[in-house]
Amino acid sequence: MKHPQKPVRETDTKIRPTGWQILCIALFLFYMLLPIVSTYAFSVATRWDRTILPEGYTLEFYIRAFQTSYFTITLRNSLILSVATIVVSLIVIVPTVYWVHTRLIGLKPWLDVLMILPFGIPTVVLALALVQVYNFPPIARSPILLIGAVVVYSMPFMYRPVSNALQAIDALTLTEAGQILGANVFQVLSKIIIPNILPGILSGTLLVFSTVFAEYTLTSLIVGAGFKTFPLLLVEYTRINGNIAAAFSVVSFTIAWLFSILILWGGSKGQNASAETIQAR
Amino acid sequence: MMRRSKRKTGQTSDWMRLLPFFLFCLAFEVVPILFLMHGSVIDKTTSQFTLQHYLDVNRPLYINSFLNSIKLSGITAIVGVIFGTFIGYAIYRWPSKRVQHILITLSDVTTNFAGAPLAFAFVVILGMNGIITQFLLQYFHYELYPTFSIYSFSGLIVAYIYFQLPLMVLLILPAFAGIKKEWRESAQSLGANTFQFWRYIGIPVLTPSLIAGVTLLFANAFGAYATAYTLVQAKLSIVTLQIGYMIAGEIRKDPGVGMAMAVLSLVIMGLSIGIYQAATIRARRWSKS
Amino acid sequence: MSYLELKNVSKFYSGVVAVQDFNLEIDKGSLVSFLGPSGCGKTTTLRMIAGFGRLDEGTILLDGEDITDVPPNRRDIGMVFQAYALFPNMTVQGNIGFGLLMKKTPKKEIKKKVDHVLELVRLQDTAKRFPHQLSGGQQQRIALARALAVQPRVLLLDEPLSALDAEVRVVLRGEIRRIQSELAITTVYVTHDQEEALSISDKVVVMNKGVIEQVGIPEEIYRAPKTHFVATFIGTANQFLGKVSGTNTVMCNHFHLLVDDLKGFNEGQRAVVLVRPETIQVQPDPPERKGWNIIPGEVETITFHGAVTRLGVNIYGQRVAADITVAHTKSISLNQKIWLLFSPDACQVMAVDEE
Repeated sequence: MKHPQKPVRETDTKIRPTGWQILCIALFLFYMLLPIVSTYAFSVATRWDRTILPEGYTLEFYIRAFQTSYFTITLRNSLILSVATIVVSLIVIVPTVYWVHTRLIGLKPWLDVLMILPFGIPTVVLALALVQVYNFPPIARSPILLIGAVVVYSMPFMYRPVSNALQAIDALTLTEAGQILGANVFQVLSKIIIPNILPGILSGTLLVFSTVFAEYTLTSLIVGAGFKTFPLLLVEYTRINGNIAAAFSVVSFTIAWLFSILILWGGSKGQNASAETIQAR
Repeated sequence: MMRRSKRKTGQTSDWMRLLPFFLFCLAFEVVPILFLMHGSVIDKTTSQFTLQHYLDVNRPLYINSFLNSIKLSGITAIVGVIFGTFIGYAIYRWPSKRVQHILITLSDVTTNFAGAPLAFAFVVILGMNGIITQFLLQYFHYELYPTFSIYSFSGLIVAYIYFQLPLMVLLILPAFAGIKKEWRESAQSLGANTFQFWRYIGIPVLTPSLIAGVTLLFANAFGAYATAYTLVQAKLSIVTLQIGYMIAGEIRKDPGVGMAMAVLSLVIMGLSIGIYQAATIRARRWSKS
Repeated sequence: MSYLELKNVSKFYSGVVAVQDFNLEIDKGSLVSFLGPSGCGKTTTLRMIAGFGRLDEGTILLDGEDITDVPPNRRDIGMVFQAYALFPNMTVQGNIGFGLLMKKTPKKEIKKKVDHVLELVRLQDTAKRFPHQLSGGQQQRIALARALAVQPRVLLLDEPLSALDAEVRVVLRGEIRRIQSELAITTVYVTHDQEEALSISDKVVVMNKGVIEQVGIPEEIYRAPKTHFVATFIGTANQFLGKVSGTNTVMCNHFHLLVDDLKGFNEGQRAVVLVRPETIQVQPDPPERKGWNIIPGEVETITFHGAVTRLGVNIYGQRVAADITVAHTKSISLNQKIWLLFSPDACQVMAVDEE
């Protein structure tokens, strides 16, 4: 039986968002964006304490900000801290997660719990504990202690993406395939595993970087002025000159945006970044 | 996965490979925490066991700090959960996937904004000469100050909610996704209208996620330091700030109280995270069925 | 008399026809299956009956009443989904009683009805358990119980057994049929599994690409397919191409076939003759049977199928399937020359599709 093809109609209507949805999202956006936009505006405003919009615009504060004595030093320190943390994290965590995934799979639930632990320890408590225990030179109040603290603090952020990646590629099966073909453990790791979990490692690295770059609590309580990082400089200037502090905030925000975009761009190659933020917590 | 034939796993060499990690955790996590717990029940001068430090916490200053922290965390958690859920639903039902993606990204970024820059941003908008303060003054002739101050408890609430909201949004979205379409249709075929569906099925299934939200947001707020430090400092006493002062200066005086407070904080946080985990497991189990 | 009626029902999805001009009358108390490959429109049609999916054209009548625009929660129709869709936050009791709760039935009565329907599906002691504690088969029976508890006018099942193991499927489909006929509830059953459809239905509706190919009782669908699609979709069929000659012959390339029914065919018209493997007998020596089709060939493959053995026989270059019993198998070997034997009434003649 054949039926003549009738001309086909477009019958699915385009669904539109409802009024309350639009209102909800609009208010949400307002709340989220106003502080940020205001900070950007404040950093270029000449005077803004009597009116709703700035009275004038200037780049003066950025120039002064970049010229402050500690600007380059703190940026450098923040960079050092972030990179050091990443390196230590990678060395400590990646092989460990791999061993657990492949040889000690029974430990995985425990490892998961261990990685939730840092979220249960408020940064001040961690700082107090570390300062109390390591109160002897040369570690006391040193950048080394700080790095240790920050690695603990950022462990979940490196762990989650790497663990997910290992699971996604079925690391155990790949390892066995590699071994049957004659590779030893290190070859398997370097030639098979790591190349395949690079997106996960990248995601973890970026997450750790942006988290550590903005870290204030541990830094100020453990080393303080001994190793001034960018966030410390920012807090200092909130009490000295608001406009310059705003300029620093803009730098801080902008770096955060850039890293978020990088993470998402890298994460779109297989993983869901926002799910990781939640999972990481 | 099929059980492979007897493989040599769990050997000593495997455990040895985990040694660096274990040592690291031991050195920087386990030992310090144990030290804290130990120190909180030891008298520094006599090296005897004592609960005096915990009793010392009962002083007004310290008790107030706990009450304030709990109030602050509780309020921002509940407000965050309620509004975060509605906003999350609005996003979940938004027809354009691109817009959804952008909003999720935005939430992802803003929830990590806690800290000094955020606190400062709020000063810019709600400070004495802040934008909104000016706006209310000029257009509504309403003087925000001194009834409200950003450098106070209520100011902290406003600032904390900024990063609590998106956190809840990110948490609730997968929960909405876990509400299967077939449940809705099933309920409809059994005679339920929209309200009845949500009342008997939708909200009960969401409840574990809501509980997870409250506990997660509570823990998130309780442990926050930098935002409060920038905004209120000496004006308001909360637990994290108190402990911070002790590290900075008064530690030589009486570390015991500080450690007692730290241990109490750990207990509170531990409880929250514990409930969070339990709720999350329940939520995941239901969304899989 | 027709209880559920679909008239000229059509549905389109941005440029694609999902269902076209669907007309069907379903008698009260009967079980009708919609059978077809994925994408043929069977689920779409079922969902329209349930109220999930607006009709672009046509109407649906239930017991004389036009329900085309009635929302799904007021149609009094029960539905069982492929993925069970049991509410995870409620016990078995809660799930089954849900529809009654919506009807504001008093608690005592709900309990009675729930117990009664649990007995019907033979799962009385699961009342207080939660869905995740039950096996797939049990969950599906509870889903069925839930749909039946409100005594709906029509029961719809959307591939209810696809998610289950083969063994469970066979048992469960028998259960579904038993319950359905016990309650005499008008039922529409969607499946892509022909064995399922043929074994439990009063009527089968074979669909393809949004259109009904044939409606009939299972035997009819199997033995007297009306279209090429139905013939090849249902069971296996050997196809012999040829030209019609005289009143009872179809001339193929190397042989001719004696067939029964050539009504409606013209002399010389191209046709395809369909012969099912189980109707073909296999003989090691040339048989003598007047009026039957006898064709020589060589055994190329022997495949064991459990109850039957399927032979792949080379007939002048064409591979023909013939099913023989296991006992018979012992006398057949590979590359053996054998004779195929089948009667004219095993032949189904169809016009060649001018696609």
